[in-house]
Amino acid sequence: METQLKNLQSEALSAIEKTKTPEDLKSLEVKYLGRKGELTQILRGLKDLPPEEKKKAGQLSNSVKKTLEDVLETKKAKLETAEIEKALKKDFFDTTIPGDARPLGHIHPLTQIQEEVERIFNQMGFGIMDGPEVESEYYNFESLNIPSDHPARDMQDTFFIKDKDDGKHGKMVLRTHTSPVQIRTMEKYGAPLRIIVPGRVFRYEATDAGHDTTFYQVEGLLIEKDISLSHLKGVMAEFLSRLFGKPVKVRFRPGYFPFVEPGLELDFSCLICDNTGQREGEDCKVCKKTGWIEFMGAGMVHENVLKAGGIDPKKYQGWAFGFGLTRLVMMRYAIDDIRLLTNSDLRFLKQF
Amino acid sequence: MKVSLNWLKDFVDIPKKLNPEDLGDLLTLKTAEVEAVYNQAGSFDNMVVGQIMEILPHPDADKLKIVKTSIGKINLKMVCGGSNLREGMYVAVAKVGAKIRWHGEGNLVTLEKAKIRGVDSEGMICAGSEIGIDAETEGLPRENDREILDLSAIKPTPGTSLAKIFRAEDFILEFDNKSLTHRPDLWGHYGIAREVAAITGGEFTQLTPKVKIPAKGESPKVKIEDYLLCPRYCGLTINNIKVGESPDWLKKRLISTGHGVHNNIVDITNYIMTELGQPMHAFDKNHIKEGIVVRTANSGEKITTLDEKTHTLPGETLIIADHEKPLAIAGVIGAKNSGINEGTTSIILESANFNPQSVRRTSTKLGIRTDSVQRFEKALDPNLAELAIKRAAELILQICPEAEIAGPITDVGKFNKKPLKINLDTKKAALKIGVKLSTKEMADMLNKLEFLTEKRVDNRLAVTVPSFRATKDIQIEDDLIEEVARLYGYENIPVTLPSLPTRLPKDNPERFKKHRLREVLSYGLGFSEFYNYSFYGIEEIKNCLLEEKGHLKLLNYLSEDQTHLRKTLFPNIIKNLQNITRYEETARIYEIGRTFKDIGQYYPLEEKQVTGAILIKGKSDAPFYEAKGVVETIFKKFSLPKANPVNEIPDTPYAHPVKSISYIDKHAQTLARVFVLHPAVSKNHDLEKYSVAFFNINFTEIMKLPPEEKKYTPIPKFPDIKIDISVLVDKETEISKIETAIFNAAPQLTRSAKLFDIYQDDNIGKDKKAVAFKVTLQSDERTLTDKEMVSAQNAIFKNLERIGGEIRGK
Repeated sequence: METQLKNLQSEALSAIEKTKTPEDLKSLEVKYLGRKGELTQILRGLKDLPPEEKKKAGQLSNSVKKTLEDVLETKKAKLETAEIEKALKKDFFDTTIPGDARPLGHIHPLTQIQEEVERIFNQMGFGIMDGPEVESEYYNFESLNIPSDHPARDMQDTFFIKDKDDGKHGKMVLRTHTSPVQIRTMEKYGAPLRIIVPGRVFRYEATDAGHDTTFYQVEGLLIEKDISLSHLKGVMAEFLSRLFGKPVKVRFRPGYFPFVEPGLELDFSCLICDNTGQREGEDCKVCKKTGWIEFMGAGMVHENVLKAGGIDPKKYQGWAFGFGLTRLVMMRYAIDDIRLLTNSDLRFLKQF
Repeated sequence: MKVSLNWLKDFVDIPKKLNPEDLGDLLTLKTAEVEAVYNQAGSFDNMVVGQIMEILPHPDADKLKIVKTSIGKINLKMVCGGSNLREGMYVAVAKVGAKIRWHGEGNLVTLEKAKIRGVDSEGMICAGSEIGIDAETEGLPRENDREILDLSAIKPTPGTSLAKIFRAEDFILEFDNKSLTHRPDLWGHYGIAREVAAITGGEFTQLTPKVKIPAKGESPKVKIEDYLLCPRYCGLTINNIKVGESPDWLKKRLISTGHGVHNNIVDITNYIMTELGQPMHAFDKNHIKEGIVVRTANSGEKITTLDEKTHTLPGETLIIADHEKPLAIAGVIGAKNSGINEGTTSIILESANFNPQSVRRTSTKLGIRTDSVQRFEKALDPNLAELAIKRAAELILQICPEAEIAGPITDVGKFNKKPLKINLDTKKAALKIGVKLSTKEMADMLNKLEFLTEKRVDNRLAVTVPSFRATKDIQIEDDLIEEVARLYGYENIPVTLPSLPTRLPKDNPERFKKHRLREVLSYGLGFSEFYNYSFYGIEEIKNCLLEEKGHLKLLNYLSEDQTHLRKTLFPNIIKNLQNITRYEETARIYEIGRTFKDIGQYYPLEEKQVTGAILIKGKSDAPFYEAKGVVETIFKKFSLPKANPVNEIPDTPYAHPVKSISYIDKHAQTLARVFVLHPAVSKNHDLEKYSVAFFNINFTEIMKLPPEEKKYTPIPKFPDIKIDISVLVDKETEISKIETAIFNAAPQLTRSAKLFDIYQDDNIGKDKKAVAFKVTLQSDERTLTDKEMVSAQNAIFKNLERIGGEIRGK
């Protein structure tokens, strides 16, 4: 009987193993374990055995039964899973239909870059300041060491407001740069000071793809007891590297702006040709083979400007800079017409 | 400004190893921006003189011709569209490989053999602008549109290189004028040569004119009325002048530095200006009555200038006059009456110094901008006037040997001859630049620039500023620091980060809230941000039913649609919508920007506004309610005190008078508005087929409101009961009235009443509407029983019936 049981078990296991459908498995279960199944048949001979063997055979038969039941159960689960999967695979489901996103609006690219610039400078301890867009000649020019009849007035073509002119403020202008906010902030907070001023500025000049009457600047001002041009290089290199996400070099050139002395221009290393001026064997078009991108005017704040802001130039010194946010945005997104930014088309804005 | 390398070499020994481009770069890094360095010869590679032999029609194009042109040994067949072509004409031929600028525009392109409308062209006959030649400056006939350069006046041998014709053996450095604004000394070759010497170490040769000025004889009589306006006037009479053409070398220099050529005397004055930076003027002595008077014009005095324009002079204009009439506008331009012409035999040379502000003011007022103005307004060194007049005399005698200097130089004036001295704290200088430099090193640098230095104590230098730098450019210690920094080399300044005390940045909550607002609008509510100009025009004012009053108007403007500063963001946004309808049928857009309102004081009321619009095709009230929802969401998001809308909309003529509300605070200040477009405005912008609603929030005003503090309310412990109520009311019953009726029925238990349907249909009655609410009942103390629910519901029904409602499905 022992042999019978063992044979039964191995025969059953092999049969279960080969089964491919739940139906076949069911008939196997009936065949071996059913009420009239083979195991029952064998067990019928149990009563004819001597007690000792009876016990042994009894135990063995239970073990066989248990084994077969377990294997059947496992196999059943496996077949069912396979069955479901087979059925699922027959389903048609089009995953290529476009995703159904909640419609988002768009934030203007100028705002996006402006916020990035603000965040970087804010992290370096610079406050973000604002000032009026309609300014007096005093704040826009005189206080910045650009007296009337000064040739430097030609550097900035100015919009004037009709019928607004008085002895105290001078003519009313649309601010030609964000620099008036330097004076306003000095007057309000005094020294030391660490600020940037992003904002809209205006120039009275004919528009084309590269020029517009309206554009955005970022002014920077740092006033401390001990601050140098070397630090300006450091802060700008840090800012540009963070903004572009890779190391950026900066260089100074002499430049003239009446509100700074020494006055300089800052260039940064061309990211397209990696400061080499050459790209794929040709002159780099972005930096016009110089390896440098002209970026901003800067310098040590002129003592007349500090005085106008109520700060003692003997106690404090500082630097200031101003760069074109609009140009930065155009560079970042390869926008070739400045007018798209202030006279927008929804099809343009949707790209950002 | 164009600077000739050959001319510079008259005064400075430029180190051999420095090629012209390197010199340009060095000047850019140390002095002022050199925008370009041109090799005159290089630009004429593969360009030769040609003579037209035969002109044949082009088979396929009326305006094109096939031109057989001799370029010496061979003939080229070229297709050309020049309208002034004629046989025998001498022309500029660009051969294959030449670099030209098509129609004078864009980048240089290398010429290739090409088929033009099916005909082979072996080169190109050029217009002056295509090869960088200005015909007039070269003394050639002016080219009109579609004409080509005519070299016939020169009659050169065909095949001669154009470089030879145009005397191209120089290098030209083009300076950015803006970068020279503060350097009066750099407006001539002499000053630039001095600068080149300082930055390259090359030797500088001082100019010492070799001319004998007689100690006795005839000198011009000069009277200066105001030394402040004219600190110095040098005059010299020269007789026996023969006016004629200038020698080639002189013309060449003037042409290559961008000047026209006239006659030897005028050319010499221009030459001196270009060489030394000192503008000069020559008067025909025979047209001067008695002496010269430097005075301000009498109001209304008239002058006809060399360019044949007549100007009425404002009273404060400084002029050069004789005892009868004005002869020149001082430092600006000469008068026609005393100009040099072929008949001139005696001249009075003027080399003067004028007040820079005065010259500039006059130039601006009269709208005359000349090379002379450009230099005088920079504040020239009065000492230069004397050197210039001697140099001019030297050149005149060289070019007209028969000329005779009549007598001594008249030199009148009053100016500060005492040298300017400034103390330099070298320690402070080093701290500002951020480099370690010794006092001696700084002194050496300044000496190179002809500043004299004297060491006082340890970190102190007494610096004497040379007169040519002392007029404006160098005034204070920081100006000396700049000289040291640039000579040391800006590129050598190390990159370091400051170590500053930790301080919280100055706060600007408004700006950060503005960014958050954009996020809510764009990423929460699905609106796109626009930027518009700060202007609009009178037509837009009318189209939006606005009034011109209250607007700031531009004095100078570029176009008729940009004449007024925006008082509201609305007009530009509606234009955006109008444009959008060309390619979209719905839009949700907004702008955050400043508006300007004239309030009778100097400064206008400048406010930050948020204005947005919802546009959909067809007739619908939905945009209004969406706009209202936007405003309410923003108020809630920014924790603003609840403002209740009212049915009035002040100062908003472009709004529909009925379909509009405004949110007003307790000080009667309008915080926000929601409105449907006024039908007339809609029509003016072709938007009749669309439904458009706007929202506007006065951001400046809402930022003044104290935000409500957020406080946690416990989550309800007991379940709520929701009941749906549908009520039939008169069509014109306002929803708020129904809401109030619901709330007042069981105020302790009613948590919310949300409108979820408004239904209208002829079946329920023409003047009726069915309104459905979901009402939430809840208690903080217990689970509500059915009985309580029923009793609350009945109370609501009763209240609704009291206002004329008929409960549906009761």
